[in-house]
Amino acid sequence: MLRYIAQRLSESALVLLIMSFVIYGLIGLMPGDPIDLMINADPKLTAADAARLRALHGLDRPIWERYLTWLGGAMQGDFGFSRLHSRPVLEILWPRLGTTVILMGLSFALALLLAVPAGLLAALKPRSWRDAAVNVIAFAGISVPPFWLAILLIIVFAVLLGWLPAGGMAPRGAGLGAQIAHLALPVATLTLATLGGILRFVRAAAMEALRQDYVRTARAKGLGERQVVLGHVLRNAMIPVVTILALNFGALFSGALITETMFGTLGMGKTIYDSILGNDFNLALVGLLLATLTTLLANLLADICYAWLDPRISYD
Amino acid sequence: MTEPGPNTLTAEAAQALGPARSPAGILWRRFLEHRLALGSLLVLILFAAAALAAPVIEQLLGHDATLVDLFNAKQPASLAHPLGTDELGRDLLLRLLYGGRVSLTVGLVAALCAAVIGTAVGLWAGYFGGAADALLMRLTDGVIALPLLPLLIVLAAIDLTKLGLPEALATSQDVSLYRIVVLIALVGWTTVARLVRGATLSMKTREFVRAARALGAGAPRIVLVHILPNVVSPIIVATTLSIGNIILLESVLSFLGLGIQPPIASWGNMLTNAQELIWDAPALAIYPGLLIFATVIAFNFLGDGLQDALDPRAVE
Amino acid sequence: MRWRRAAPIRALRPFAALAFALSLAFFPGGPARAGDLTIGMTQFPSTLHPLIDSMLAKTYVNSMVRRPFTAYDQEWKLICMLCTELPSLENGLAVLETTADGKNGIAVTYKIQPKATWGDGTPVTSADVMFAWEVGRHPLSGVSNLELYKRIIAIDVLDDKTVTLHTDKVTFEYAAINDFLLLPAHIERPIFEADPASYRSRTAFDSDPTNPGLAFGPYRVSEVESGARIVLVRNETWWGQKPAFDKITVRVIENTAALEANLLSGALDMITGELGLTLDQALAFEKRNGARFDVMYKPGLTYEHLDLNLDNPILADKRVRKALVHALDRDSISERLFEGRQPVAHGSVSALDWVHDPEIPKYPYDPARAKALLDEAGWSDLKDGVRHNAAGERLMIELMTTAGNRSRELVEQVLQSQWKQVGIDVRIRNEPARVFFGETVSKRKFTGAAMFAWLSAPENVPRTTLHSESIPSEDNAWGGQNYTGYNNAEMDALLEIIETELDRPKRKALWSRLQRIYVEDLPAIPLYWRAAAFILPKWLSGVRPTGHQDPTTLWVEEWTDSR
Repeated sequence: MLRYIAQRLSESALVLLIMSFVIYGLIGLMPGDPIDLMINADPKLTAADAARLRALHGLDRPIWERYLTWLGGAMQGDFGFSRLHSRPVLEILWPRLGTTVILMGLSFALALLLAVPAGLLAALKPRSWRDAAVNVIAFAGISVPPFWLAILLIIVFAVLLGWLPAGGMAPRGAGLGAQIAHLALPVATLTLATLGGILRFVRAAAMEALRQDYVRTARAKGLGERQVVLGHVLRNAMIPVVTILALNFGALFSGALITETMFGTLGMGKTIYDSILGNDFNLALVGLLLATLTTLLANLLADICYAWLDPRISYD
Repeated sequence: MTEPGPNTLTAEAAQALGPARSPAGILWRRFLEHRLALGSLLVLILFAAAALAAPVIEQLLGHDATLVDLFNAKQPASLAHPLGTDELGRDLLLRLLYGGRVSLTVGLVAALCAAVIGTAVGLWAGYFGGAADALLMRLTDGVIALPLLPLLIVLAAIDLTKLGLPEALATSQDVSLYRIVVLIALVGWTTVARLVRGATLSMKTREFVRAARALGAGAPRIVLVHILPNVVSPIIVATTLSIGNIILLESVLSFLGLGIQPPIASWGNMLTNAQELIWDAPALAIYPGLLIFATVIAFNFLGDGLQDALDPRAVE
Repeated sequence: MRWRRAAPIRALRPFAALAFALSLAFFPGGPARAGDLTIGMTQFPSTLHPLIDSMLAKTYVNSMVRRPFTAYDQEWKLICMLCTELPSLENGLAVLETTADGKNGIAVTYKIQPKATWGDGTPVTSADVMFAWEVGRHPLSGVSNLELYKRIIAIDVLDDKTVTLHTDKVTFEYAAINDFLLLPAHIERPIFEADPASYRSRTAFDSDPTNPGLAFGPYRVSEVESGARIVLVRNETWWGQKPAFDKITVRVIENTAALEANLLSGALDMITGELGLTLDQALAFEKRNGARFDVMYKPGLTYEHLDLNLDNPILADKRVRKALVHALDRDSISERLFEGRQPVAHGSVSALDWVHDPEIPKYPYDPARAKALLDEAGWSDLKDGVRHNAAGERLMIELMTTAGNRSRELVEQVLQSQWKQVGIDVRIRNEPARVFFGETVSKRKFTGAAMFAWLSAPENVPRTTLHSESIPSEDNAWGGQNYTGYNNAEMDALLEIIETELDRPKRKALWSRLQRIYVEDLPAIPLYWRAAAFILPKWLSGVRPTGHQDPTTLWVEEWTDSR
C-alpha cells in the first residue's frame, strides 16, 4: 500500500510538472499579450513604448525560455509577480484560497449533510412520495443555471427582503455576523447546485447496495433495519460517492467562478479567470497548479478510500 | 405530489400491455412503471418535435424569426406573437424554438461523444490495469485539471481555414456551435471514464467474469459481453446527468461571453441577455429559464427511469 | 499549530449558528451612516501607481487623492488644477524658443499651488516634478507612456514651487500636461534608486498604499482590499474646499446585474457612470426606481463605430461603403434601443467639441440610394435576396465585435437585419475581447467590419487612427491603430499641420477639412456617441460628468450631501 502511495505521489509530481508546462503554453498560445491589452486601454501608447515594455516584461523571449525562468524561480520559492495586482503572486493567492476553502467547504459540508440521509431515505422506499420529493428537490437544484439561481436569491433576499447583503466581501475586521451574512447567499447557491448531484449518486448507490446478496443475508440473519442500513448499505453506497467527491474536491480550491462573479466574492475561481483573461501568466499558472495539485491529491485519496471501502479492490 | 394527466394514461397502458414475457417487454413495462420518466420522455419528445417544427410554425405565424423590428420591441403576448417579442422585436416563440434546436443538439451530441470516449477509456483502464491504467488515469486527471477557459479562448482564436476546414464552414455563423460541442466532448469524458473504471475494477473480480475467463473467453468478449452491460447503468446515469449539465454549461459559457454567439439563439444566450432586463421585460428571462429548467430536469428523470429499467440484475 | 486551533473553532460552532441567526435579524441592509459615501463600479485598478498601466478605474480613484497639473473641465476647456495659472503665449508663461539642435521648441512655466502638501506634511515641490520626470523617462521603470516624458527635453527649477518645461515640438496643446503626474520624491526616490528595474514591484503605491505621504488631494487612501474595495478618508493637508464626505468607499462589483442589486439593497449609495451600468440597463432602472434615484446621462467622447478593412476588395469601393451607411437607420437605433440618449455620430469629431463642423455632409437613411449605389458598384444580381456581381461573387461581409457585450451584440443584429434588406449578406462572428483586441483588430485580421469604440480627449488629433504611418504591420511590430488601413496623403498632411497650428480660427478650418475628408472617404462607419449613465441618490448633488476621459472625481470636493 505504501509503495502504491509513493508511486502515485511521484506520478502526481510528474503530472504537475507537465501541467505547469501545458498551462504556461496554453496561456502563451492565447492571442495577444499583456502589452496588446495595455495598448487597447491607452491609445496614446506608441509602437516604441510597446516594444520597450515587451522587452521589460521579457515578452520578447521565446515561451520556453520564460517558462524555464519561472520554473527556476519557483524551485527557490519565488512564484513571481502578478501583473494585475502588482503584488507577489502568493500574497494575492493566500487570502483568496482561504475564502474559497471556507466558501466551498461550507457548501460542500452542507450539501453532504443534507444529501446522504436524504439519498438513503429515498433509496429505502423507492417510488414512494418520499422518493419522488427527494428526486424533485435534487433535480431542481442541479437544473437551474447557477447565475440565474444567484440572481433570484439576490433579488429575494437582498433586494426584496433586505435580510442579507447582495454579496461582496465583508469589510476587513468586520464581526463574525457580518462575515457569515456575506457568505450566506453564495453558500446557499453553491449548496443547492451541488446537493442534487451528490444526492443522486447516494440514492443510486444505496439502491444498488440494497439489492446485493450480503444485504439480503444480513436481513435474513435478523439484523435490524438500522444496522443493515448503517452497517452495510451506507458503506457500499459511499463508493461512488467518494468518486464524486474526489472529482469535486479540486473545485474546493479552484473555486466557483459563477458564484464568485455574481456575488463579488474574492475566491480562486474569479482570480484564475481574471488572470487568464488579463494575461497575468504567473497568477494564472500558480492558481491553476494549486487547483491541479489538490485534484490529484483528492483522486489519490479517493483510490485509497475505495480500497478501504471495498475489500475486493486491491492495488498491487 | 399531484399526478399529472399523462401518468394516469401510463398506468393504463402498462396494464393493457399485459404480462410480457420477452426481456424487451419486461424492460418496456418496467420503464412504463416509472411515471416521472415517462412524463419526462413525453415532454422531451414534445420539445424536440416543436423545435424540429420551428420552420413550419414560422410559416404559420408568417414572420421571419430573424427579422429585427425595432418598432415592435418588448411587446406583450398577442395573437401575432403568442409569447410576445424580444428586445429587438423578434418573435419570442420562434426564437425559443430555434434556440431549443441549438441547445438540445449541443447537449445530446456532446454528451454522446463524451460518453463513448469515457466508456472506452474506463473499460480499458479498469480491465487491463497496469501501465495502461496508470497512463489513462493520469491522462484523465490531467484533463480534469485542464483549465477550460484558456482552452476555449485558444480555440476561439484558431484560424479554422488553416486547419483545412472549408472556407464556407469556417466563416459560417455556426462555428461557435461546433467549437462548443468539440470542446465539451474533449473535456467531458472524464466523469464517465472514472465511473466505468471503478465499476470495471469491482466487476472483474466477480465470479461470472472469472468463470467466463476460465471458459476461455477472450478479453474483447469479456469486456463487451460480460462487463459492459454491467457497467452500463452508471454510464447512463452519468450521461443523462451530463446532457443536462451540458445545456447548463452552455448557458454558463454564454454568461461568460464564450458560448453560442448571436445571432444564433440558444436558450443559454437568451437567458444571459435577459438578465439585465429582468424587471423591464421578465418574459424574456422567464421562458428560456423555464425551458432550460424543464429540459434538464426531464433528462434527469428520464435517465433515472432508464436506469431502473436497464439494470441487468433486476431482470431475472 | 493549525491542528490545535481547530478544537476551539469546533466548540464555537453552535455560537456561529446563533450568530448567523442573529445576523439575519439584525444585519442592517443600508450602508454606513451619513457623512459616508459608497460608490459602486465595475473595475479594480491593477495598481495605484500613477505612471504604470493606465486604466480608468485607477484614474477615477486617484483623482480623489491627487490632481494633475492641468485637466479639461465640464465645458471641455483646459484648466489649471495643481498649477496656479494656465500658461499661454499671451500671458508670457509660455515662450517660443529654438532648441540646441535647431528645432522649434517651447518653454512652459507652471507654478505649483503654494499650499499643496503631501498627506504626511511634506510640501509638494519642484523636486517631485523632477523625480516624476526622471522615473517617467527611465527605460526600465515600467512606465507605460514613456514618450510623454521623453518629449520634455529639459526642466528648469526656478524655485521650490516653480518649474519650466522645455519641449522640442510646438503643438497647440503646449499648455496641456494632463498626463504628467507627480510622484512623492521623499518616499519613492530611495525605492527607485535602490534598483530602477524592480521599482515597479516595490513602489510604495502598491506595497504601502495607505501611506498618507502618497496623497495631496482632498482624500487619501486608508484601506485597500485588492479586488474588492478601496476606502478613502479626508486628507487634512488638502489646500482646497473641504469635501463633504468623511469617508468614501469605492466598491468593485464586476457583474452589472449584481452591481444594480447592491445599489437596490442599499449596500451602495451610487453607481458611477465612468465604469457602471450599461445604458439600456440604466434606462430600465430609471423607469422602476426613478423616484428613489437620480439618473444622469452624459453622451461623450466614446465613439462607437465600425472599422472597415479597406484591403477587402468589396470594401475598397467607396460606393459600397456609402451604401452601407445609407442602408442603416441609425436614428431608429438610437431612438429605439437607447431612447435617444446616445446621439448618432456623423463623423469622428463629437458635436460637443468646439472644432466640430455642423455643415459636414451626412448620410441619411435611404435604402433606395443604397441599392442604387450597390447597383452602380456592380452588385446588381439579386439571388435569394443577396446581391452578386458579374463574376458571381456574393456580397458578403463579416461583422465582428466583442462577445458578451450585450449592447454591441444587439446593435450588430440590427445592422445585420437592415443590411439584409438591401441585399447584403452579413455574417456575425464575435470573439472574446481578449482575442478580438489582442489579435483580430490589432493585427488587422478582421476581413469586414469590426465594431468597437475609441475614447478620446477633447480636440484629440486622430493621428494614431488615421495617419498612414499608423497602419499596423509586421514591420512596425503591429504598432498604431489605423486598423482600417486608411491611406490618404492629404489626411496625413492635415494631421501634421493641425497639431502645430496655434491659431484657433485657422485650426478650426483645418479641422473642418479633416472632417469632410473623413465622411467622404468613410474609412469607418460612424454609429453613435456612447453615453455614460450616473445613478445617484437624491441627496447627492454636485456630480458633474465631463463627457471626456477626465472623471467626475476630479471635482469630488464640490459634491454635497443634503441628508
